[in-house]
Amino acid sequence: MDNIANLMHGFSVALTTHHILLMMAGVLLGILVGVLPGLGAPNGVSLLLPLTFSMDPVSAIILLTSLYWGALFGGSTTSILFNIPGEPSSVATTFDGHPMAKQGKATEALSFAFLSAGIGAMAGVILITVLSGWVASFALRFSSPEFFAVYFITFASFIGLGGSSPFKAIVAMGVGFALASIGMDSVSGNIRLTYDFDVLLAGVSFLIAVIGLFGIGELMLTMEEGLRFNGISAKVRARDVLKTAAKLPRYWVALLRSSAIGIWMGITPGGPTAASFMSYAMAKRSSRRGANFGKGEPEGVIAPETADHAAGSAAMLPMLALGIPGSATAAVMMGGLMIWGLNPGPTLFTDRPDFVWGLIASMYLGNVVAVIVVLATVPLFASILRIPFSIVGPVIVVVCFIGAFTVASKEFDIWLALIFGFVGYFFKKLDYPIAPLILAMVIGDKAEDAFRQSMIFSQGSLSIFWSNPLVTTLMSLGLILLLMPLIGTIFRRLRALGKTRAA
Amino acid sequence: MITRFWAECAMALTTMIFGLGIVWGALDFGIGWDSSGPQPGAFPFYTGMLVALASLGTIVVTTARRFAGNDLLGEIFLDAERARRVASFILPVIGFVVLSATLGMYVATVLYLVFTMRFQGGYGWLPTLATGFGAALAFYFALEKFFQIGLLKGPLERFLGF
Repeated sequence: MDNIANLMHGFSVALTTHHILLMMAGVLLGILVGVLPGLGAPNGVSLLLPLTFSMDPVSAIILLTSLYWGALFGGSTTSILFNIPGEPSSVATTFDGHPMAKQGKATEALSFAFLSAGIGAMAGVILITVLSGWVASFALRFSSPEFFAVYFITFASFIGLGGSSPFKAIVAMGVGFALASIGMDSVSGNIRLTYDFDVLLAGVSFLIAVIGLFGIGELMLTMEEGLRFNGISAKVRARDVLKTAAKLPRYWVALLRSSAIGIWMGITPGGPTAASFMSYAMAKRSSRRGANFGKGEPEGVIAPETADHAAGSAAMLPMLALGIPGSATAAVMMGGLMIWGLNPGPTLFTDRPDFVWGLIASMYLGNVVAVIVVLATVPLFASILRIPFSIVGPVIVVVCFIGAFTVASKEFDIWLALIFGFVGYFFKKLDYPIAPLILAMVIGDKAEDAFRQSMIFSQGSLSIFWSNPLVTTLMSLGLILLLMPLIGTIFRRLRALGKTRAA
Repeated sequence: MITRFWAECAMALTTMIFGLGIVWGALDFGIGWDSSGPQPGAFPFYTGMLVALASLGTIVVTTARRFAGNDLLGEIFLDAERARRVASFILPVIGFVVLSATLGMYVATVLYLVFTMRFQGGYGWLPTLATGFGAALAFYFALEKFFQIGLLKGPLERFLGF
C-alpha cells in the first residue's frame, strides 16, 4: 500500500490555501477558455505556460491541470446551452444536452453533465493512483529501443485508429517531427535545418504551433461558419442539483461503461474526443432507451461526459509514467514539465515523488473544486457568450498573439503563429489530424534520441527492435495498430468476396 | 471555383514540397553513419521522405477517388460568401501582426480592436474606445506589472519613456 502512503503525502503537498486558490483560479480560467470558441484546453494551457516559468513546478502544474478540468467543463456548458461545443471533445454532448435544455431541463442537463464528468474524472484519477507507480517501475526496465517502441505505438495508433486518412496522419506527424528537429541537435550539438535564417536557430516552439493551429485556425473556421449564439438561459439552484444527483445512481451501468471507455482511450492516445463519441455510440446501441437518444435523453449526456473526463484525466498516466502524452493538452503540459526542468517518465517517480504525488492528489481536489466552481458560475459564463462575437473574437485574437510573444519574447513568433493559423485552418478543413503534429513536436527530440541510441547499441541494425521479448511485443503491437486500416479493408474485401460467391 | 479535389491536391503538394525541403536541408548534415552513430541529418532526412511519400499517397488516392466519381471531392471548397467572411476576419489579423511588429503590441491592440468594433461591428465610438484602451491597459498591468513580462514596444512607448 505504498501508493496510499504516497498519496497521503501528496495531499499534504497539494492541500494548502495557496494551492486551493490556484485551483480555483485555474478552473475559472479554464471554464472561460472552454466557453469561448477558438480557445480550447491545449491553447489555454499554451497561453498560460509562459506565465508559469517562474513558479515552482508543483504550483504550476496544479494551475495548468485545473485549467484543463475547467476547460473540459466549460466546453460542455456551451454544448448544452448554446448547441455550440466549446471543445471538440464536447461535440457528443450537444446531441442530447441541447435538446434537454430546449425542453426546459437545462439545469438537469448541466447537473448531469458536471456530476457524471466529475465521476469520470475520478475514475481516471483512481486508475492513475493505482497504476502509475506500477507502470513507472515497469518502465524503469526500458532502455532506448523499448522507449522508441513505445513512441512507435503512440504514433501507430494515431495512424491506425485516428479515423482520418492514414496518409494525412503520417503527414501531420512527419511535419511535427521535422519542425521538432529544427535548431540545436541534442546529440551532436549541430544546428540543423535553419536554412541560414537566424530566427530558426532556437527552433520552433510547440507552444507557438498550438496557439496558431488551435487558436487562430479554429477562429478562422468559426468565422467561416458565421457563428451565431442562440442560448438558453439557465439558473442552477442547489436543490435542483441535489435532485439530479439523486437520479444519477440509476445510470450506474452507463457510468461504469463510459469510464472504462474513457480510461482506455485516454491511456492509448485516442484522446477525449474519440472517447466521448465512442461512449455515446455504445450507450445508444446498448441502452434500453436507445430510441430516445438525440431527443434529450439524460443517458446521452452522461455517457459522453463521463468518457470525456475519464479520458482527459487518464491521459496523464502515460505522460507521467512513460513520458508519452495521451492527448494534445497532455502534450503541451509535458512540454511544460520539460521547460521547468523536469524529465517526464519513469524516473520522475523516484526523482521527484513530491511533484508526482502532489499532482495526483491535486487531481482529486481539483475535480471536486471544479464541479463546485462550475455549478456556481454557469450563469456568469453563459452570460459571457451573450457578448457579441465581434467583440469577443478580436479580443481572443489579441490574447493569442500576445500569448505567442510571451513564449520567448521573439517578434518572429507572432509571424509564425499567423502562419500556423493558416496551416491549422486548411488542415482542419481538409481533415488532417492536428494532435499527432503537436505530439510529434513535443516528443520529437526524445523519439529521435531513443532511435539514435538504439542504433548505436546495435551498430545500425534495425533488428535491435526485435532483440528481446519486451521490445518485440511492443513493436508488434505498434505494427498491428499501424496496419489496422489495411487489415480492416482486406477483411471487408474478403467478406464481400465470400458474399458474391455465395450469391 | 475551387473544388475540394483541387484543395486536397494543392495541400498535398505543399506538404510534399515541405517534406522535400526538409530532405534537402538534412543532406547538409550527413544522412549516413559515422563514428558516433547515425549522422545528425539522418532522422530529418527520413521524416522528410515520409512526409513527401505520404503526400504523394494523398494525391494518388484523391485522384483515384475523383475518377471513381466521388461526389464529395466535387464540392466547392470555399464559396464567395464564406471566403468573404474568412477574409474579413483574417485580413485585420494580418494587419494586427504587421502593426505589432512596427508600432508595438499595445498600439496594435488598440488600433485593431477599434477597427474591428467600430468599422466591422458597427459599435459607437464610446464602447469601442473603452474596450480598446481597456484591453491594452489590462494587458499592461497583468503582464508588465504582475508577471514582469515585457511585450513588443514601438515608437510611442519610446517617446513616452518606457
